[in-house]
Amino acid sequence: MATMSERPANSVGPTLSRRQFVKAGGALFVTFGLVGPQVLKGATEKATALKNTLDPTLGSSWIEIHADNTVLIRTGKSDFGQGSTFTAYRQIVAEELSVPFDAITTVIAGHTDRTPDGSGAFDFLGHGTPNIRKAAAYTYQALLDLGSEKLKVPKDKLSVEDGVISGGGKSISYGDLVKNQELKLTIPVKGDLTSIFGLTIDGDPPMKPVSQYKIIGKSFKNSVTSSKVAAKETWATDVRLPGMLHARIVHPKTLGSTLISAGKVDKAKFPNSQVIVKGNLVGVVAPNEWEAIQAADQVAADTKWTAWKGLPGNAKLYKHLREEADWTTTPVQKSDASKGDVGPVLASATKKHSATYQLSYMKHAPIGPTMALADVKSDGMVHIYTHNQNLQALRGEIAMMLGTTPDHVIVHSYPGPGHYGRSNGGNAGAEDEAVLLSQAVGKPVRVQWMRADDMQWSTQAAAAYSDVQIALDDKGKMAAYQIDHYMPAMQDDRPIGAVLAGLPTMPAPQVKSDSVTSTVNGIEDPWVYKPVANVIENGHGTFQVGQKDSPLAVGLRDHSMRTPGQFQQNYPRELAISEAAALAGVDAIQFRIDHLSEERAIGVLKAVQDASGWDTRPSPRRDAAATGSDPLRGRGVSLMLRSGTYWACTCHIAVTPSTGKVVVEKYTIAVDPGIIVNPAQLKRQVEGGAVMGVSHALFEEVMFDESGITTDDWTSYPIPTMADVPEIKVVLINNPKVGAYGGGSEAANALAAPAIAAALQDATGKVMRRLPMKPAYVLEFLKT
Amino acid sequence: MVTLNVNGVRHEVQASGDTPLLYVLRNDLQLIGPQFGCGLAQCGACSVLVDGKESRSCVTSISDVANHEIVTLEGLPARWAKQKGLSAEQANNTLHPVQQAWIEEQTPQCGFCQNGMMIKATELLESNPNPSLAQIKDAFTNSGPSPNLCRCGTYLAIIQAVQNAATIMAKGR
Repeated sequence: MATMSERPANSVGPTLSRRQFVKAGGALFVTFGLVGPQVLKGATEKATALKNTLDPTLGSSWIEIHADNTVLIRTGKSDFGQGSTFTAYRQIVAEELSVPFDAITTVIAGHTDRTPDGSGAFDFLGHGTPNIRKAAAYTYQALLDLGSEKLKVPKDKLSVEDGVISGGGKSISYGDLVKNQELKLTIPVKGDLTSIFGLTIDGDPPMKPVSQYKIIGKSFKNSVTSSKVAAKETWATDVRLPGMLHARIVHPKTLGSTLISAGKVDKAKFPNSQVIVKGNLVGVVAPNEWEAIQAADQVAADTKWTAWKGLPGNAKLYKHLREEADWTTTPVQKSDASKGDVGPVLASATKKHSATYQLSYMKHAPIGPTMALADVKSDGMVHIYTHNQNLQALRGEIAMMLGTTPDHVIVHSYPGPGHYGRSNGGNAGAEDEAVLLSQAVGKPVRVQWMRADDMQWSTQAAAAYSDVQIALDDKGKMAAYQIDHYMPAMQDDRPIGAVLAGLPTMPAPQVKSDSVTSTVNGIEDPWVYKPVANVIENGHGTFQVGQKDSPLAVGLRDHSMRTPGQFQQNYPRELAISEAAALAGVDAIQFRIDHLSEERAIGVLKAVQDASGWDTRPSPRRDAAATGSDPLRGRGVSLMLRSGTYWACTCHIAVTPSTGKVVVEKYTIAVDPGIIVNPAQLKRQVEGGAVMGVSHALFEEVMFDESGITTDDWTSYPIPTMADVPEIKVVLINNPKVGAYGGGSEAANALAAPAIAAALQDATGKVMRRLPMKPAYVLEFLKT
Repeated sequence: MVTLNVNGVRHEVQASGDTPLLYVLRNDLQLIGPQFGCGLAQCGACSVLVDGKESRSCVTSISDVANHEIVTLEGLPARWAKQKGLSAEQANNTLHPVQQAWIEEQTPQCGFCQNGMMIKATELLESNPNPSLAQIKDAFTNSGPSPNLCRCGTYLAIIQAVQNAATIMAKGR
């Protein structure tokens, strides 16, 4: 799998020239134009050849500096509630350019015809060097070159403050510097615009030293919050086009049903409604939304589908994965951290922990179901208005579906309900359906999924299980560790409407894939306990459950969800480490520290130890019990390294054995991301992640029978309410010496599960190795 | 034809009486504060105030609220201005304290549910100007047709924003 941490090897610098200013639309701005042949890799040349695409090698595609000293920035990443594009990105650019934060007056994000780089709404801080930072760094150097020439002062004698270049007793503002001319700067770029990772700016421009930071590290507010709060933001749900029809989809009866006959509209009741059928895709359109909803219900009742029973049902899921799934076709992935000779140490160990851990399927479950408005014009141009995490990838998928090229597709980006990874690979569900219906009726069509569509027809976070074996030496230290992770393919990027309509899509997840839609299960959870001498981490992959048996090739489609893959791997590891600590008779935090060499990892553990009022002692507590109707208390800990950021959390819980109800009373979390860009925004992200983590641990499980998903609303798929929220304490550790920014929107949602399970062990003396820990399961488990 | 009184304005709506209020607000009246979340009164994204009470517009037929006082997120500033007797100019330049607090506390993440959260907060603070933590949790969990749900997990930020809004309202600005 490609990773975002791969650093570009090429270090082609920018080239700068200029000619007379060309006035464009009345705005004065710096334009960086392509000059001469460039060393370009990957698909950059393909990308630049596309129409309706910004040239990513032009500086002005990323950053415009206007004569009035304001700055505009563009990014292909769309906001999903992280707020990074409106806070961190402005701070990073302001810092690198040495302009005030407020000078960056405009952020253009996502739109495929108005942003340069594509990629998904993840890893905004790009392991410390997101594209926008390099774009700003290149731009800064170009401005210094210009300033040097204008002021006739050597570049190294210049300094910049608040957008004014000074040196040799002279000064000039950026605005005056760029006025009336067009700068031509080429930025080296590599990658594939419509792939999940988009384009990456190449080379190593000089960056501002961290010691000189003035803007990064301050809690600027998110500029989009006020318009959302005042109902002045245009959401994707708000976009209306003249002549637009509302649509609802009649999805198949099961995940393997094919269409026998589509129902007919009762024209007496719904005179303006129309049924559209394309393969197994059935849609109902009407000018009035309420009519479309009612007509779709009526048509659905009259539509006939074949029966299908190709799923194991959630009660038999683990048995199916363990005994029936094909784990041999896909090559096993061994982690880079694997070392030593595990087998003999395990075989001869006197103290050994050996267990299996299981995770259910979970939904992304956005608070609003997916929707999209599409307008397929008579000249073949396709416009899509939606909320999507990777609009360029969606563009590629729609072009493939229609047998056209991406320059015939423009995707317009608007805010919408967060869905935590579901469309990182390009689609959330409704976009392609809207396109097909619009094409069929020759009018703009707005497809809105209902709550049940979203619960039953969207992708899910993959279920998984892991086998762990740990050997302790005679001093109670881990002498050997082996983990075998088993998970079906976690990313299926096929648009569901295209699949149902029988139109071209990328393949269903298969072993060999040039994207991330492979059955290969890589190791996503970096090993942190480096002093352990003997380690094996294996990733075993297989096909999606039901995928091969479904006549639709659908089955239980998976998609990356917040902390993807690493959630499924960190939960078994961290719970097993807590169990090993208990086996050794050592406090779970101390046991971890005893097996760590990285100061940052030790730092986050000590931070939660201090902040949570942790009582240092072995687990389980002496008075642990698994019966009774009084709440029992326990506490647990977990640790994670993700995208350069160290995380630890502790959970203090109360469990009532007679009901099985687990309540998290106190949740303490520490994060060391390196340089903290915006403390207040990071804290809010971490708090939200913490609540989602409690949700994953205690509430969330996709239920399904042999035909399809049966959880279809918020009653059958509960998430926490305000009453379920624990006391949350967030400890932010600013660590400038790291020299890079780490991400903060993921990881927090994954830390709770192993900590809560360890707390349950602490309270009861019994280890539940299955998620979610919902009351019925805990009750049943404590009886065993 | 149904007569709706929304944010102090009377509208004659050409829609069948069984149409859920949400679709009329969004499609006919261009009031976009309320969002479609579930259509089942299970989440609160579509909430509006009907005679001061938080109601789920996704399951409320327009015939049931004809001639009642309906207030959407868009109408909160005017509601506050009226309650405080602010001049027209002041009213145009203000947000409801709940909205101010939501910005000050940087409460939203994706923000899709926050319409309902702000409506619920307004309902709460109008009846209880200084709610305790337990009362806030109770209001957002138990007082409506369902708990008000947030998938981004912003509940702590919502609690802090309600407390902040209570302070602003007490100062009367």
